Amino acid sequence: SPRYAALCPAAEGEQRARSELRERFLRTLAAAAHKAARFTMYERVQVQARFGASDVDVLNFHVADLQTPIGVQRDALLRAQDVISFSFDL
Amino acid sequence: MREWREKEALEWSRYAFNLVRVTVCGDVQYEGWVFTVDPVSASVVLVNFPKKGQTCVQVVMGHAVETVEILKEADENITMQLTNMFSPAATETLSN
Repeated sequence: SPRYAALCPAAEGEQRARSELRERFLRTLAAAAHKAARFTMYERVQVQARFGASDVDVLNFHVADLQTPIGVQRDALLRAQDVISFSFDL
Repeated sequence: MREWREKEALEWSRYAFNLVRVTVCGDVQYEGWVFTVDPVSASVVLVNFPKKGQTCVQVVMGHAVETVEILKEADENITMQLTNMFSPAATETLSN
């Protein structure tokens, strides 16, 4: 708000940068929804699943059709802490 | 590892649209154009164009990032391409 900016002028640029970065990240998650994703986990485990959503703090990912060595899990939560990276094609 | 997560948004912004190499877990590296860095989780979104008309998006989790090194500065062309990629205007074509 203008009032906040007046009280704390140095933070305005930082706040704008933060909101732009976050908006682009949320658009990335929206683009990933329902797409086939490849997850790289710690211990070099690779799993495939259909990307669902992330919670607001990016602590968990909801995925569907998670392919595990013992079968396909229709719905699953992956802890973000266990994930190194994930990728998908647009 | 802690250093990357503790950066401020303006510092992360300076990486946007540059070609970078992200190192995780000592020896695993990812390269790509930075679309954004999530200010909440410090995760880096990298975009690659392996073939014409093909776009691959890689999200590297902030907690795993060790170093991020800039390989090539952004140019106008890639900045335009990345900003238009996920914009609402680009997704409107789905309703046709």
